[in-house]
Amino acid sequence: MVDTQRRFSRASILGITILCVALAILPFVTSTTSLRQASQIIVSVLAVLGVNVATGYGGMISLGHGVFVGVGAFATGYYVDDLSLPWLLAIALGTLTAALSGALVGLPALRIKGIHLALVTLGLAIVFQPLSKRFPKFTGGVSGTGIDARFDAPNWWPGDSRMASAVYRYLFCVLVVVLALWVTWNIVNSRFGRSMRAIRDNDTAAAIYGVDLVSARVTTFAISAGLAGLCGGLQVLLVPFVSQDKFPAQESLVIYASAVVGGLGTIWGSVLGVLARTVVGKAGDAIAGFDGLGPIGEFLNLLDEPAFVFGAGLIVLTFLFPRGLAGIGRKRQPSE
Amino acid sequence: MDLVLLLQRVCDALFNSAIYSSLALALVIIFRSTGLLNFAQGEMATFTAYIAFVLLSGPQPRLTGGGLAGLVPGVPFSIPLAIIGAVLCGMAAGAVTERALIRPLGGASDLALVNITIGLLLATNSLMAQWWGTGPRIFPAIFPSGAGQHFSILGARLRYSTVGVWIILLSVLVLLVLLLRHTRAGLAFRAVSISPSNAELVGVRVGPTLMYGWALASGFGALAACLSANSVLLEPNMMLRVLVYAFAAATLGGLDSPKGALVGGLIIGLSQTLIPAYVPFIGFELSVLPALVAMVVILLIRPAGLYGTKRIERV
Repeated sequence: MVDTQRRFSRASILGITILCVALAILPFVTSTTSLRQASQIIVSVLAVLGVNVATGYGGMISLGHGVFVGVGAFATGYYVDDLSLPWLLAIALGTLTAALSGALVGLPALRIKGIHLALVTLGLAIVFQPLSKRFPKFTGGVSGTGIDARFDAPNWWPGDSRMASAVYRYLFCVLVVVLALWVTWNIVNSRFGRSMRAIRDNDTAAAIYGVDLVSARVTTFAISAGLAGLCGGLQVLLVPFVSQDKFPAQESLVIYASAVVGGLGTIWGSVLGVLARTVVGKAGDAIAGFDGLGPIGEFLNLLDEPAFVFGAGLIVLTFLFPRGLAGIGRKRQPSE
Repeated sequence: MDLVLLLQRVCDALFNSAIYSSLALALVIIFRSTGLLNFAQGEMATFTAYIAFVLLSGPQPRLTGGGLAGLVPGVPFSIPLAIIGAVLCGMAAGAVTERALIRPLGGASDLALVNITIGLLLATNSLMAQWWGTGPRIFPAIFPSGAGQHFSILGARLRYSTVGVWIILLSVLVLLVLLLRHTRAGLAFRAVSISPSNAELVGVRVGPTLMYGWALASGFGALAACLSANSVLLEPNMMLRVLVYAFAAATLGGLDSPKGALVGGLIIGLSQTLIPAYVPFIGFELSVLPALVAMVVILLIRPAGLYGTKRIERV
C-alpha cells in the first residue's frame, strides 16, 4: 500500500470535529455512572488499536489481545496496590509488562505465520482464564481482587464531589487515548511503520530491502500488546477491581472483530470499530426493551448480544466491505 | 509409580482421545481440501449437540423464560436416532456454510477466511446462549455408565462408554475410508485435496466436492459433540477448550493427515490426563496449557507434524 494518507480527508476532519464536540459536551450532560461507562468505552479503543497495529499494519493475525488487556490490568493492579506505586508509574509499568509479554508471544510469530498464528493466539486467549486462576497472588484467583488505591482528583482540581473526580478520570482517559492515537499514527507513518507494512505485504522482499524481520516483528507485537495493556491499566483506574472473568476468550474475539469491522490498516478504523460496538450495544438495549413481540422479539433480542452482531457483522463486512467501515466509500487499492 | 493407577488413567484418557481424534479429523478434512482452519468447528458441533438434545427431550424452554427454541417441534426420539438426526443436521449446516460463506469468497486471503470462521464462532456461540441459556444441561448417557458398568483389565476399569465411543469412531472411519477409496465422489475428493486446479482440468466439479468435504467434516464434529456432551455437560462454551485439544492433535499429527489426526488425538488425550496427574503445578484446570505449548513447539520445529506433507514456499 502506498503511503497516501498523511493528510486528513474532508470526511475525517468532519468526523474528528463531531467526535471532539461530543467528547467535550459529555461531562456536562451525564451522571457519574454513565461518565464512567463512557470512559470505559473510550479506553477500549486502545485494545482495538493494538489489534490493528499487529494485524492491520504488521500482518500478524492476533485473536488473543484480550490476554494483553488482562496482563496490563493485573500488572497495574499489582503495582499500584501491592507495591504501592503512584498511579502514573503503575500504569506505565503495567503497559511495559504487557509489551514484554507481547514480545514473548511475538517471538514464535517469527516462524508461525498467517492462519497458524491465528490458531496459536486463539489458543492463548482460551488458556488465559485458567492460567490466571493459577496465580492468585497477582490475579486474586477465581473471584478477582479489589484495588484499594483510588485515582482521585488532586487538590487543585475544582470541586471535590464524586462527579468532579469522575470528570477528572474521564479527561485523563481521553487525554491518554488521544496521545496514544497520535503516537501510533506517527509510528505507522514513520520509517519503522513502512517496514511493518513491507513485511505484511511480502516479508521476503522486505528482508531483501534490508528490513530486520526479527526485530521488526517483535517490536510490532510489543507495541500492539503495550497498547492493549494500557487499555487494561486504564480499566483498573476506572473500576478498581480486576478479575479473570472479565477476560474470557470471547472478549479477545470481540476486540478482534471490532478492529476488523472498523477497518484494519487505518487509525480511524479502530475508533470506528469501538463506535460501532457502542451504537450496536445501545440499539440492542433499546430493542430489548420491547416486550410481547413473541418469537420475533426473541429474535430481535439477539441484536442485544454484541457478540452475535459482531460475528454476523464480520461475515457481512468481509463480503461487502473487506476494508471495514473505514473503507466504505474509499477506492480500493490495486494492491489488495 | 503405581502401575494399576497408571493403567487406570490411560483407560480414562482413551475416552477423551476418541473425542479429540474425531474433532481433529473434522479440522483435517477441511484443511486438507481448502487450506482453511475452521475455528467455528467446535461451535457448529455444539449446536448440533443442542439439536440432539431437543430431539431427545422435546422442546426446551430457556432456563429463564420461554424462547425461540420452544418453537422447534420436538418429538422424543431414541438416543441413536437423535444423534443420527443431529449428525445429519450438522452435515447440512456444514454444506450450507461452504456454499454460502466460503465458496463465494473464491481464493481469498487468510485474513478473510479467519474473519468468516471467527464471525461464525461468535455468532453461533451467542445464538446458543440466547436460545438455550448459558446454564449447563444434562445430556443423557449414551452407553451404560453407572457403577460397575466396565471391563476389568489387570485391576483397572475400562468403562463401557470408552469402548463404545471407540467402536463408533472406528466404524465411522472404516466407512470414510471405504467412501474415499471405492466411490467416484471419494476419488473426486482425493483429487481435489491434492490439486484443485488439476482436478478441475480433468472434469471434477470442485465446488460440490468441497461441499461434500465440509459436510463430512461437520458430521465428524457433530459426532464428537454428541458423544462428549454427557461427560462435559452441554453448554454453549462446551467445545471451546476441546477445540484447543483438537487443534493440538491435528497439528501434532500434521494438519493435512487424517491418520495424523487419529494418532495426534490419542497422544493429546493421553497427555491431557497423564501430565496433570504427574506434574502438580499443571493441575486439572490448566490441563489445556500443555496442549497449547505442544502446538507452538510443533509449529516452530516441525510444522508438518508427524505425518503431514512438508510445505515448500516459493519466493
